[in-house]
Amino acid sequence: MLLCVSFEVFSHNPDELIILEIEQEQLAFQDQQMTDEYKAALKRQRMRKLAAMPWQERFWLFIKAGVQHIIPKGLDHILFVLGLFFSSLIFRSLLWQVTAFTLAHTITLALAALDVVQVPSTIVEPFIALSIVWIAVENCIFKKTNKWRPLIVFGFGLLHGLGFAAVLGEYGLPKGSFVPSLVAFNIGVELGQLLVLITAAVLVWFVRNKSWYRQWIQIPASIMIALFGLFWFIERVFL
Amino acid sequence: MKKLLFFAAIVLLSACQNQTEKTEMPVSDNPFFEEWDTPFEVPPFNEIKNEHYMPAFKKGMEENLAEIDAIANNAEAPTFANTIEEMERSGKLLTKVQGVFYNLAGSNTNPKLQELQRELSPLLSAHRDKIILNEALFNRVETIWQARENLDLTNEQRKLLEDRRKSFVRSGALLNKEQKAQITEINSKISELTTAFGQNLLAETNGFEIILDKADLDGLSDGTIAAAAETAAQKMEKAETEDEKTKYQDKYVFTPHRSSMYPFLTESNRRDLREKLYKAYVQRGDNDNKTDNKKIAAKIAKLRAERAQIMGYETYAHFVLEERMLKTPTEVYNLLMQLWRPALERAKVEVTDMQAIVDAEGHDFEIAAWDWWQYSEKVRKAKYDLDEAALKPYLSLDNVLNGVFETTNKLWGLTFTELFDINTYHPDARVWEVKDKDGSHLGIFIGDYFTRSNKRGGAWMSSFKGQSNLDGKERPVVVNVCNFPAPVGDDPSLLSFENVTTLFHEFGHAMHGILTNVTYSSMAGTSGPRDFTEFPAQILEHWASEPEILKSFATHYKTGEVIPDALIDKLLKASKFNQGFANTEYLAASLLDMDWHTIKAEEELKDTDAFEEASLSKIGLIDEIAPRYRSTYFAHIFAGGYAAGYYSYVHSAVLDSDGFEAFKEAGDVFNPELAAKLRTHVYEKGSTEEAMELYKQFRGREPKIDALLKVRGLDGSTD
Repeated sequence: MLLCVSFEVFSHNPDELIILEIEQEQLAFQDQQMTDEYKAALKRQRMRKLAAMPWQERFWLFIKAGVQHIIPKGLDHILFVLGLFFSSLIFRSLLWQVTAFTLAHTITLALAALDVVQVPSTIVEPFIALSIVWIAVENCIFKKTNKWRPLIVFGFGLLHGLGFAAVLGEYGLPKGSFVPSLVAFNIGVELGQLLVLITAAVLVWFVRNKSWYRQWIQIPASIMIALFGLFWFIERVFL
Repeated sequence: MKKLLFFAAIVLLSACQNQTEKTEMPVSDNPFFEEWDTPFEVPPFNEIKNEHYMPAFKKGMEENLAEIDAIANNAEAPTFANTIEEMERSGKLLTKVQGVFYNLAGSNTNPKLQELQRELSPLLSAHRDKIILNEALFNRVETIWQARENLDLTNEQRKLLEDRRKSFVRSGALLNKEQKAQITEINSKISELTTAFGQNLLAETNGFEIILDKADLDGLSDGTIAAAAETAAQKMEKAETEDEKTKYQDKYVFTPHRSSMYPFLTESNRRDLREKLYKAYVQRGDNDNKTDNKKIAAKIAKLRAERAQIMGYETYAHFVLEERMLKTPTEVYNLLMQLWRPALERAKVEVTDMQAIVDAEGHDFEIAAWDWWQYSEKVRKAKYDLDEAALKPYLSLDNVLNGVFETTNKLWGLTFTELFDINTYHPDARVWEVKDKDGSHLGIFIGDYFTRSNKRGGAWMSSFKGQSNLDGKERPVVVNVCNFPAPVGDDPSLLSFENVTTLFHEFGHAMHGILTNVTYSSMAGTSGPRDFTEFPAQILEHWASEPEILKSFATHYKTGEVIPDALIDKLLKASKFNQGFANTEYLAASLLDMDWHTIKAEEELKDTDAFEEASLSKIGLIDEIAPRYRSTYFAHIFAGGYAAGYYSYVHSAVLDSDGFEAFKEAGDVFNPELAAKLRTHVYEKGSTEEAMELYKQFRGREPKIDALLKVRGLDGSTD
C-alpha cells in the first residue's frame, strides 16, 4: 500500500484513514501495553547498536554498565557492601568477605546469564533485602566477625548475583559477544563495589581508631542499613 | 531496581540520578520553523511535540497562499520560470510539516494526533481549493500553456506544464461561471454524501457483534479465542451501564471487522454462527435503517456522472481514466473480462474440491459463501500441506532484509549502511543510508517493521522528504512501515512468507522513492498514476520467491541451515492456492466499480440492490462468492479515492508479471541490461513521462496478460 502523502504543493488525501478505520477499527491506546512495547523496542535498539560496535567499544560500554548498576542504580548492593564494611575494619577480614561476595555473585551472574539457573525475581529480591538486614544486624550483635561470616556472605553473594543477572537481562547481552560482555559487566560491578568501599574507607579513615567508633558510627550506620533492608523487604513482598 | 521515595536523601547518589532529566529541549521553539541541521535532514523527531503541528500547518498554509498570490499577481509576463517553477518552490513549510505529521499519524499515533487529523482535513481541503480555484494563477498557467510550442522546454518541463494545467482544468478552470457554480454545488453534495457513507459504514460495522459463551467456541484456536476475549474486555471497559458491562462479562465477541471475522470463519465449527456473522458482514449498509447506504451510493454515482458531463466527459470513469495508464473504460473492461473467465472457472473447480471434503466428512449441505474460509483451509492442508511454522525459522527479519538489500545490490549495485546516531520517532524504526554503485549518496531509508498498539494496521511506504534537482540536489528520506510480529524473548522476529512478500513489496515502493532522479519534486518517485505506481513495488515481490534468491538469504536462525528445496517447492505451489476465489471476488468488485462509474448523467437514480444484482448476474458470479465489496460497503469507491480505480491493483499485477517475465526470458533474474532499463525508465523517472511510455521503454512493447494468468494459476495448469 502506498500512503498518499503527496509532495505536491496542494494535496493530501485522507481517504486511507476512513477505509482503515472501517476495516480495522479504531486503535485502542493502552498505556501499560504501549510502555512495555516501547521498553522492548529500546532494548532491541540497544542490541542492534551493540552488535554493530567494534569489540573494544562494546567491552568498555559493558564495564560502564556494570559500574552504573552499582552506582547509582544498585542501592541495595551498595548497602550490602557497606554492611560488610561496617562489620570489621581489619583489612584481612574485610578482604575475605568481599572476596567471598565477589566470587559468589560472579558464579550466579554467569549461571543465570547463561540460562543455567532461573529464579524468579519475586523470590530473589526480598531475600536480597533480608540479606542486608542480616548482615547489618550481625554487625550490631557481634563485636568481632565470626569465622562463619565469609561463608554466609558467600551464600548472600549467590543471591546478589541473581539480582545482577536480572538487571543485566533487562539491559541485554549481545548474542555475538556473550562471554566478553558478561565479563566486562562483571568487571564493572567489581569496580563499582570497590569504589563504594574506598569512599567509605576514606570517610571513616580518621575516626576508625576512636573509642566511640563502634558506638557512634558502626552501630548507627548498621542500624540504618538494617532499616533500609527491612523497608525493602516489606516493599518487595507486600507493596 | 525500584526507586524509593527517600532516595534523594542519599546525597552522593542523587546528583547522578537527575542528570538525564535536565537535558530536555525547551518546547517553546517550534522545530518546523527552523532549518534542520540534522544528518541528511532527517526530521528532528525528538524535538517535535504534538503542539508544534497546528501552528506549523497554519503558518505553512499562510506562507503558501502568500507565495501563490505573489506568483499570480506578478507584474511581469508569465514565464515557465516565474510561474510553474515558482509554484514548485512554494509551500516548503507546509510540505515539511505534512511529511512528518501524516507519517506519524499512521505509524506512531496518539489520541491528540488523531484529533488533529480530523481537524486538519477540512482546513487542508479548503487550502487546496484556494489555490486550484485561483483564476489569476490559472490564467498565467494557461498563457504559458498556449505558447508551449514556442517555448524552449525540456520534456520534463513540458510534462510538468501539462500536469499543472490539467489539475486546474479538471477542477473546472475552463468552465463558465454558471457551470462553475454547478460544480461547486455538486462537489459539496458529494463531499457530504461520501462523509455520510463512511460514517454509516463505520456505524454498521461497529454496530454488529456476536457474543459467545465458552460453549460456542468449538474449533477456534487459542489465539482467536484470546483476541475475542480481549474484544469483550474492551467493550466491557467502554460500556456505560452495569447491565451492559455484565453483558460482556466472561464472554467472547466477534465483529464484522475483517481481523475479527476471518479467523472465525476459518476456524469455527459452528456453521450457524459462521452464517450469522458472514451475513451481517455482507448486509452492512443494506439494512433499511438510519445508516443505510443504498440511496447514498446511488446518489454519489449520479452526481459524479453529472459532474463529468458538465466537464465534458461521457462518464465519470472517462474523467478519471484520462489520467491513468488505461485511458478509457473500454480498456479497463477488456482487461477485467480477459481475467474474469479463467478466474471464475478456477473458482468453480475450487467449489467442487471443497464440496468433496464436505461430502467426505459425511455432512449433508452444499458449500455456501460462509463455508469458503473453513473448507478452503482444509483443501490447503490436504493439497499443499505447507506448514507455515516449518517455514518461519528460515525467515528471520534480518535475513529477509539482507535478502532484499542483496537483491537491489545485484540489480543496481546499491549498498545499505545502518546508521545508529540518527534520532527516529520510535526505537524500532531503523535507519539506513542508501548509496549508489559509485558510492554516492542516494537517500535515507527508514524501516519500521514491528506491530505495536499505536500503529495503524497494514503496510505502507511514504516519504518524510522528497527529491528534487531544482535548486541543488535534494535527496529523499523514505520510510516503510509494516506490522510484522515483534520478537519474543531472545528469538528474532520470524516472518511468514506473506510478510516476506509484503516487505519486498514495500521495499519496491521505497526504491521508487529513493532511486528517483527528477528536477521537480512534484513529479518525483511514486507520484505517477495509481494503476502504475504499484508496478515498481509488485515487481520486486517476484525476486522474493525466486529459489536462487530464497536460498541466498533464507537460512535457519538457529542452525544456519539453508532452506531445503522441498520446502521451496511446496511454498511456490501453495502460492496458487485459492486464486480462483481471490481473483473472482476482486474482479467482481472492480467490475461493479466500473459499472457504477460508467452510468450517464441523464439516467435515473439507480435502485442500488437491483443495479448490483444486474451487474453481477451479467458476468455470471456464482452464489458461493460475494464481490470483495458490495456497493453499500465499498468504501474505496464511495468514501475513498478509488472510484473507477479499483481495477488498478490488477493492472499493476499485469505489469509486474509481464515485466518480470522479461527477466525470465533473458534467463537471468539479474540480467544487467534489463536491470539498468528498469532503473532508468521506471524507478528513476517518477511521473516525468506518460506511464505507458515508461513501461514500453523498459519492456520494448506493451504489457500482455499471459504472465499474470500463469503466476496466479489461472492458465489451466493448476490441478
